[in-house]
Amino acid sequence: VETAVHAHDGNCKGCRASVRISQKEIDRIISEHFAGADVALADDATYSLRMAVCQICEDLVYGTTCRHCGCLVAVRAKLAGKGCPAYSDKWEKIA
Amino acid sequence: MDKYDPEKRVGLIVDEWGSWHEVEPGTNPGFLYQQNTMRDAIVAALTFNIFHSHADRVQMTNIAQMINVLQAMILTEGAKMVLTPTYHVFEMFKVHQDSMLLPAHTSFGTYEMENEKITQVSGSASRSADGKINVSLCNLHHESDTVVECEIRGAKVSGISGRILAADSICSHNTFEKPNDVKPMSFDGFKSSKGKISVELPARSVVVMEIE
Repeated sequence: VETAVHAHDGNCKGCRASVRISQKEIDRIISEHFAGADVALADDATYSLRMAVCQICEDLVYGTTCRHCGCLVAVRAKLAGKGCPAYSDKWEKIA
Repeated sequence: MDKYDPEKRVGLIVDEWGSWHEVEPGTNPGFLYQQNTMRDAIVAALTFNIFHSHADRVQMTNIAQMINVLQAMILTEGAKMVLTPTYHVFEMFKVHQDSMLLPAHTSFGTYEMENEKITQVSGSASRSADGKINVSLCNLHHESDTVVECEIRGAKVSGISGRILAADSICSHNTFEKPNDVKPMSFDGFKSSKGKISVELPARSVVVMEIE
């Protein structure tokens, strides 16, 4: 009984870890990730272009995640110093 | 198992051991992509030494997992690759593979923090097919050095060499930008006299010594 309760209480990392992330969850992650962080962020135009590239990339999995680095592209694209992990100039080509 | 199988006919295979931390910020939580620090290296060394002490029962162990997931030995990003502190412990401890476990009678001090107490030093020893003795030691303490006195019985000591994995912080780790912040170095923090070896173990360190 204890095991069954544990498996469904959602507090275990193994239980709550899912590869399918909702937009609401992504928004929360972005909010937490950048709150007070001292990092250079991409401007809105660059961010939008990067996201456009990722959204049609065949290496985007679950609609949110880069197959090459496991990152949520919505987070990575916000970081000014980052690039496409697989093809170094993929983001720059469209800038 | 000692109660029901005292003859030790049944072996244990320990599957999927290792640390499980929060994922790296900004990565898919379901991918379980976590960084790997000197703390994980100590977890690995401590775990290996525990496995060694049960070598009469434990026949195989497998970490979870090797690349990009949980306590990985390798992290990748596209074509880039970095070796983690855990990788280096695996590499340093490989001298124990296919060797004969040597009984080690140990007495170490206590690492106490926030009302929890554990033994500060972990160790194991084995003899390889070519007769060399390998001793692995791990100082778990995050800030205190210690000295370990070893007495080798039944063998003469003619030469010692060693390697150490240590870092400035228990949180030190390797990144794609700085892939060699935590890596094994040559170790000479020992003195040998009349069959006794005194080893200075820095805080948060893993040492493997080869004794001839």
